[in-house]
Parts: sequence; structure tokens; C-alpha cells
Amino acid sequence: MEKKDIIQSFKDSLFTGLIALALFGPIVGLRTVSKGEGLFITPQWGVVFLLVGLCILGRFLININSARRTEFKIFSTLSSKFSSISENKAKHFAITGILFAVVFPFLPFTDRYFMDVAIMILTYIMLGWGLNIVVGLAGLLDLGYVAFYAVGAYSYALIATTFGWSFWICLPLAGVFAAFFGILLGFPVLRLRGDYLAIVTLGFGEIIRIILINWYEVTNGPDGITGIPRPSFFGLPFKRSPDEGEISFHLFFNLEYSTMHRIIFLYYLILVLALITNYFTLKIRKLPVGRAWEALREDEIACKSLGVNPTNTKLTAFAIGAMFGGFAGSFFATRQAFISPESFTFIESAIIVAIVVLGGMGSQTGVVLASIFLIGITEMFRDLEQFRMIAFGGAMVLIMVFKPKGILANRKPTILMHGDKK
Amino acid sequence: MSNLLSVENLTMKFGGLTAIDDLSFDAKNNQITSIIGPNGAGKTTVFNCLTGFYKPTNGQMFLHKKNSKISLRKYTDFKIAYVAKVARTFQNIRLFPAMSVLENLLVAQHNELMVASGYSLFGLLNLKTYRDKEQLAVDKAKYWLDIIGLTHRADDNAGDLPYGDQRKLEIVRAMCIEPRLLCLDEPAAGLNPKESAELNKLLKFIKTEKQTGILLIEHDMSVVMGISDHVVVLNYGKKIFEGTAKQTKNSKEVIEAYLGVDE
Repeated sequence: MEKKDIIQSFKDSLFTGLIALALFGPIVGLRTVSKGEGLFITPQWGVVFLLVGLCILGRFLININSARRTEFKIFSTLSSKFSSISENKAKHFAITGILFAVVFPFLPFTDRYFMDVAIMILTYIMLGWGLNIVVGLAGLLDLGYVAFYAVGAYSYALIATTFGWSFWICLPLAGVFAAFFGILLGFPVLRLRGDYLAIVTLGFGEIIRIILINWYEVTNGPDGITGIPRPSFFGLPFKRSPDEGEISFHLFFNLEYSTMHRIIFLYYLILVLALITNYFTLKIRKLPVGRAWEALREDEIACKSLGVNPTNTKLTAFAIGAMFGGFAGSFFATRQAFISPESFTFIESAIIVAIVVLGGMGSQTGVVLASIFLIGITEMFRDLEQFRMIAFGGAMVLIMVFKPKGILANRKPTILMHGDKK
Repeated sequence: MSNLLSVENLTMKFGGLTAIDDLSFDAKNNQITSIIGPNGAGKTTVFNCLTGFYKPTNGQMFLHKKNSKISLRKYTDFKIAYVAKVARTFQNIRLFPAMSVLENLLVAQHNELMVASGYSLFGLLNLKTYRDKEQLAVDKAKYWLDIIGLTHRADDNAGDLPYGDQRKLEIVRAMCIEPRLLCLDEPAAGLNPKESAELNKLLKFIKTEKQTGILLIEHDMSVVMGISDHVVVLNYGKKIFEGTAKQTKNSKEVIEAYLGVDE
């Protein structure tokens, strides 16, 4: 490296320091402290100089590094690791992943907390897979997906508490309701695309939430719905002391009563639901309707010129995506036993979209990786409380910088003429 | 030779601008009819009216069947391709770039495959009836790929093909819907002379072997003069000449429209 380069990078880092000073000076340097009769400003210039110094040093190191044309080793290996995942490896990865998921509850280190996190991650994986149909395949950016999650949860909760029907009857009904709402949303937005579609779907998500808050007679408003029945193991409830004439799970199988039974059952339930979503998506992608979705994402005008009906094609995408959101919603309701509109805010939609986009649009394995990464990281930093959203944002930035197209962005054709060459 | 398409008194106005003014012409079965004219003459607008992208202000367009004729005005949007079987290509290529070549050709057979898959139900159950139909669709795609010599690239993304191949692919994709009338909007734009010659061969093949009438907008005169059976010349939305390629070449009006009037 030449001397000129070093001087240049030093100048650049001094400039960075100047900007840092301008920013940190007022924000960190002048601290307001309330004391008795008013607010007082306490300067803390020491911290400011420490921060500015760090900025200068960091910038200088980055400059020197890039002048040598070497990347930070950790990032380059990380990014090449992800890109080297070929289709074949992805298949192995999927099989090991599923096997791991199946034995996970019985691993020695698995405790209640791990199970809860795993259930949460699986719920997001299922939502991600559901949304992947709409966003990844059909290319319709839906920022209000949480609406269908809410419709599913409330349909399940209302039907189950009013009629007392079992989980296995309510689940498909909730899916049907959500699909119906998907079509309801689909009709007005048929002509919209891109940003406009995103805005309208965002609005739809909020409308559903506000209806849930205000329609007190039906939804119980902000108080939410309590006492949602828990799922039973094919008719065997998970109770310590079952009602008259009932046999509970632990009695039937002659086990010691444990709350973990229900948790493990819920875990397998969401695992199966998620895998069904995945299987369905992988199948339907290879059918004419799946190809039409992707074609619509690529070029709507060309689709019309080939006689593909864009209305029906879009509506099926919305309906099927919404249906899986509804299934996930009813699972959420039965797991929590209590739902309120607070669980269905915009941030949920944003997280699901983030999972799909960061995973690599249309990639099923990518959704899994992104869910584990995003939800896992936010959980890991739970001790930091409000700062854990910084970890979430940081994770998103990292993926966007090193894998701008998503973790797994390669698309495999749905049908091959010459068979698999590799 | 029987009439395939007749356009009668077609007028298209955009606000105060008359893009097409009282245009009438016929196109015959198994013939290549070219529409030529200077830039802005309204050629693409004629296509957009024919293929349902615009609703004409006035006039009629009929597609003749054996003993009946259907009015194209009745169909809009995707129904032109689906029901009336009028296919088109675009001036700026509109393939599905991130999908494979084979998938592009299968999307063109969407409607038959949709019925065959029982609106996805049989397909999800993986019934044999659907798999057989899908194989037929792949065979049809292979037939067309063999003709344009792209079979070896069937599994590559359409967007990765060279420009000339993308043009040809768009044409055979339109042919996969088995159209009665094929409308080509500047298929030779951006092609080198060798590729233009290949295009001529392909269009002649479609004309003679496929009972399909071709309507062609083109600026490349080597293509127009080489393969057209009939030429319609437009200028400022009006038809100024109609005749064979040879007649067109020698027509005073056409030369004036392109080169201007001698002072």
C-alpha cells in the first residue's frame, strides 16, 4: 500500500469524524436531566469524544482494508457459504431440517422456553410460506397479510367459543373464512400493482384490526376473546383432572401428567400444518395455475396476450395465501387461548414480508432460514428489552448488504425437458 | 383464398388525436399481410385494437370462421387470445424472463392445461390423465423448439437467451395457443441480416404449414418485401396504399410518404 493511500484514507476518516461529531454532539453530548424545578443540561463531552474516536478509527480500518482489496473475512465466508448452497444440498438441508424438527422436542437440552421459541418460529415459517404464494410466486406485494391471520384466529375463536366445535372442524372453517376475505381484498386491488397494491393491502390490514377493536358485540373489542378451547389429541384433552366421562391424554397413555404434553402436541401440530403448507406450495407451483402466477409476476400484459385470465389467477393466489394465513391464525388462537386485536398489528405483517423477502422471494428453504435468523436473533437478545428491535433491524441490514436478493435466491424451473443435468 | 380478417371503418381517437382514421382492409388465410408506414402512422394502435388492448372508437373487426364470423369488438383483454384465438407479439419483447424457455411455452397452453388439471384438483392428486396432458403440452413445446433450434436451451431462463432467439421464442410462444391470426409487431427489430433471414423462414413455415394468417408490422423492408403477400400502407392513421409487395415498392404515394414530396 502506498503512502498516498494512507493519507487519503486518513483524511476520509477525519471527515467521518466530523460528521460523527455533528451527530453525536447534540444527541449524546447534551444530556437533559430533570432536577426539582426544571430541566438542566449536563454536557458529557468525554463520551462524545470516545464515540467520535471510535468512528474515525473504524473508518480508517475499513479504508485500509478496502485499499488492500480484501474483504472482512467473516462476511465473505458467510456470504459464500450461503451462495454455495446448490439445489442438491438444499434438498439434503431440507431433509435434515425436517428430521431435526421431528426429534427436537426430545433432545436433552430442550426445555419449555426452547419449545415456545420453536413454536413461534414454526408459526412464522408457516405464515412465510403462505405469504410466499402471494408475494414470491404471484409477485403481489401484500403488506396486510396479518389481516388473514387475524380473520383465521377470530373465526376459530368465535366458532369454538360459540358452538363448542372441536379444533379439527373449526380449523378448515377458519381457513375458508380467511380465503373468503382474501378474495374480498383481491377484487378491489385487481388493477393495482407494486407500490399501490402495497399501500392498499396495508390499509386492509389496518381496517380489519380496527373493526376487531370497534365491533364490540361480536369481537369483544380491545378486551379480546378469552377461554378459547385448547386442542385435544383426537378427542383426548390435555387436562390433569378430566371432566366426568372423559379420558384425558395422560390417563389414556398411562403417563405422568405434565404440561409439556400439550406443548409438544402444539409443536407437532404447527409442524404438520407448516409442512402441509410447504408441500402444497411445492406441488401447486408445478401446476398450470402456479406457472400462471409466476408468469403474472413476470409480465401481466404478456399473460393477457396468451389468454391467461389475470383476474382468476390473482384471486386464487390471494385466496390460497389467505387460507394458510387463516390456518396459522387458528393455531395461534388455540395456543394462546386468548386473542385480542393487539396481536395483529402492522409490525406482524412487516415481519412476515421481511421473512419472505430476506429468504429470497419464492424460496421455501429461504423462508425457513430467514425465520430462524430473524425470530431467533430477536429472541436471543430478549434480555436487552426494547433494544432487541435493533438486533432485528441489524439482522435485516446484514442480509440486505450481503445477500441483496435474499438468502436463497435461485429459482428452479418447475418442469425440465432434459432432466436434471447436475 | 378466403378472407380471415376484415377490418371495416376502424377509427380510434385519443382525445383530440385521431390515431386511426376510417381504416378498412382485409387479411386472408394462409397469407402474410404487412402493415407498414412511417413512425407514428398508427400501426401498433391497429394491433392494440385487434388484440383487445384498446376499444376502438368506431368501426368493426371481424374474424371469419368457416360459415360464420365473429366480431372482435365483443372480446376484450385475455379473451381475444382465449376465445377468438388471435395471438400477438410485442415491439419490445415480452417474455417471462425469469422462467425457463419450456415454462414460457407451457404458460401459452395455460387454458387447456388448466382444464386438464381439473382446475388444479387432478394435478394435486397427480392423476394420470393430467400427467398425459402435460406430456402432450411438453411435446408441443418441443415441436416448436425443434423448429427454431432452441431445444438444447429448453431448461435455461428465457431472459438469458440472445436477443434474436428471444424474438423467435416469443413468436413460437404465440403459436402455442394455436392461433387463427398471428399479429407480429416488428419481429425483425434489432435482428442482424442472418437472423432476419431465419425469421423469414420461420414465418413462411407458419404460413404454409399452420393454416394461420399472419399480420405483420415491420420496418425492415428486406423482411416485408421478401415474405409479404399483401401490403397495407398507413400514414397519419389513414390507408394510403394497398397492394402486393412489388406494387408497393413502385407506388408514388408510398415513396412520398416515406421520403417527402419533391419541391
